[in-house]
Amino acid sequence: MEALALLQDVFDILLGFGLLWLAWLALFSLDLFRSIVSFISFGLLMAIIWVRLDAPDVALAEAAIGAGLTGALFLAAFAKLQPASVNGKGSSINPQKQSSRKQLLRWLPALIMLWIASGLTIAILALPPHATGLTSEVTSNLTASGVSNPVTAVLLNFRGYDTLLEIVVLLLALLAVWSIGSSVPSIESEPGPVLDTLSRLLVPILIMVSAYLLWVGAHAPGGAFQAGAVLGAAGVLLVLSGWKLYPGLEGFPLRLVLTAGSITFVVIAILTMLVSGTFMQFPPAQASILILILEMVATLSIGVTLAALFIGSPPTDIKKL
Amino acid sequence: MGITFIDFPWAIALILLPLTGGLSCFLWPSVSKILGLVTVIGVMLSATGLGWLVIDKGVYHYLVGGWGAPLGIELYVDGLSLLMLMVTALVALGVSIYSIHYFELSYQRRFWPLWLFLLTALNALFLSADIFNLYVTLELMGLAAVALATLTGSHDAFTAAMRYLLATLLGSLAFLFGVVLLYHSFGSLDIAVLSERFESNITAWAAFGLISAGLVLKTALFPMHFWLPPAHANAPAPVSAVLSALVVKASFYILLRLWLEIFSQLDTDVDILFGFLGSIAIIWGSLQALRQTRIKLLVAYSTVAQVGYLFLAFPLAEKVGVTAWSAAVYLILSHALAKSAMFLAAGNLLRFGGHDRIADLDRVAQRLPITVAAFALAGVSIMGLPPSGGFISKWLLLQSALVQSQWGLVGVMLIGGVLAAAYIFKVLGRAFTQAPLPHEPGVVPATMEWAALLLAGGAILLGFFASEILAIIEIGSPFGAGEVKL
Repeated sequence: MEALALLQDVFDILLGFGLLWLAWLALFSLDLFRSIVSFISFGLLMAIIWVRLDAPDVALAEAAIGAGLTGALFLAAFAKLQPASVNGKGSSINPQKQSSRKQLLRWLPALIMLWIASGLTIAILALPPHATGLTSEVTSNLTASGVSNPVTAVLLNFRGYDTLLEIVVLLLALLAVWSIGSSVPSIESEPGPVLDTLSRLLVPILIMVSAYLLWVGAHAPGGAFQAGAVLGAAGVLLVLSGWKLYPGLEGFPLRLVLTAGSITFVVIAILTMLVSGTFMQFPPAQASILILILEMVATLSIGVTLAALFIGSPPTDIKKL
Repeated sequence: MGITFIDFPWAIALILLPLTGGLSCFLWPSVSKILGLVTVIGVMLSATGLGWLVIDKGVYHYLVGGWGAPLGIELYVDGLSLLMLMVTALVALGVSIYSIHYFELSYQRRFWPLWLFLLTALNALFLSADIFNLYVTLELMGLAAVALATLTGSHDAFTAAMRYLLATLLGSLAFLFGVVLLYHSFGSLDIAVLSERFESNITAWAAFGLISAGLVLKTALFPMHFWLPPAHANAPAPVSAVLSALVVKASFYILLRLWLEIFSQLDTDVDILFGFLGSIAIIWGSLQALRQTRIKLLVAYSTVAQVGYLFLAFPLAEKVGVTAWSAAVYLILSHALAKSAMFLAAGNLLRFGGHDRIADLDRVAQRLPITVAAFALAGVSIMGLPPSGGFISKWLLLQSALVQSQWGLVGVMLIGGVLAAAYIFKVLGRAFTQAPLPHEPGVVPATMEWAALLLAGGAILLGFFASEILAIIEIGSPFGAGEVKL
């Protein structure tokens, strides 16, 4: 057993240093593309570390959103940056020609950050190694929450109000991108045979995985955000292989799907207020089914929102407005 | 059901109404103007209803989901949050009336959902009693604010909004880090529970530093104000009004709340630092405002200066707690009304002349008398002349400083007042003269002029109801026991 424990320690140390190295590469790589790839690898390694820290829910979210979709968004942005950076190359400042004053100005913030970082390190080392937090409260109220996965209970029931606002934050992110994105033309390219075949194979599997994550969230790691992220990945794959939304669906139907998660949340919140008298108080007997409905609709909205974020520019219907 | 008027969940309506309104405006963009107006009027009514309830029955608690702290999220309304909600509703009404004719059709459809989500975030923020929930509202507010700031579509606006986005995200992340440390150390996210369990240790200090730094960055206290002038000056006029009047105050409100409830237990000299930075902000911001050649930048730098006054309350509250804090709250209210009026008036001048260069204002006093009146009335409050809300707040601040013989702060406030008068008369002086190059005037709809005057009038009216408003501030005694003396 001791050998196994030692092996685990070595593995953890390697993971830790690997993470730092990838963070360094992501920040200081001169090539933007390499930075992005390092960032995606960083996310994947981070997900493994979350698993090692016994936080599988966070690991799933990190892998799906932190590494997967954020990486895809970075790559999409990178692709749109290309023409501009080619033109701008000649005018870029030679770092060696910077005056010593500018060098000093570069190091001053670095020193301040170092000072803050060491202070925070001391603060974190001073933390109690085992904080109970609200674990006991969550456990004792779990039966009334309608689900047996404590993370889902917190997200959808105990602190469902936060989740309602967070889903609106995601929608808002898309609205923000759409409000500026109309000037950027979308990239048109023929998918290669590999991508074409791969997307035919992967999209159905991704949809299945998404449905599984959604269903399993009630009693094991999973849930709407992870399921939505996987669904979003399926959407990204479809977009990459040249699939387009039927033009008739680009207007109101698309907007309805995007807002469906928030709307369902609001409707259920109002219904609970009418039935139990309190905003978002789920009756324990119906909590399970209410959470399932919420998660199903939220998954769909999250998935479509994430895919729409990847595309970036608003559909033609909005552009005309 | 038996729900009477007084029992109606006004607080919940304040969150759900703008949220539903925003979603509806996104779904049915062709009627977004009407939906938006109806929503904002509903928000105004709900704020009034909640005000009635709180003034009648005292502090209001609501357990979202019925769980209660520490497991669930609680809403909490005392005099401080009530006044923030009411001024938000009032500014929202003025800005919404203004926006009906301000935006072109294509921009109407982008503006309303973003604006109503911003209003949702503001209301939820002022209602919240939970530090993680506050973080979520900060994110909602920041994203909506940045998106709104890009709506002019100009290159400058995009650059400014990008800087604003990075600053606001950095602030949110620092705040979140602090929240994590507090939760890990004290096992709760509820402000009241935290205030009981809080004790001074390294982690508490780190949390204090992170949360204060994040919120100070979002409030744009000197020298962290760098993002504010370009973002506020390049946004469309109604957006500038909301950003300066409400968004900057929201992060200050959180700082004030946490400082009073939780961090007052730390033995710190940060209040003196805040007072020092606030003083520099007043002088620097006013001087910069005086240097500007464009009205909107001038008004934006004036916000930097006025934010400085808010931070003077920290060192002053050491001895005369309630008076100094009440002064800060009074300043938030009067500055919210005056500054939104000023930005709306600046928007009118911009629309009228096609530019906002101060030197080229062309007899606007005769041709846009209502707008110039709004600008002048708002200016009276910003300068701190009686009778106005600005006068009451600055008088209270000055009095707290005099009582403690804080001559340095007295001097800063007096210089700040003189500089404010200088930059406001710089604009007003040009309003009566003829420009060297006369130009074809644009048409300014009457609603846009009256909306600005309505808000400016509100800032003046605040000067007449000092005792009533100071009594409302005292509901739930957010600043501890004590008497406010005028």
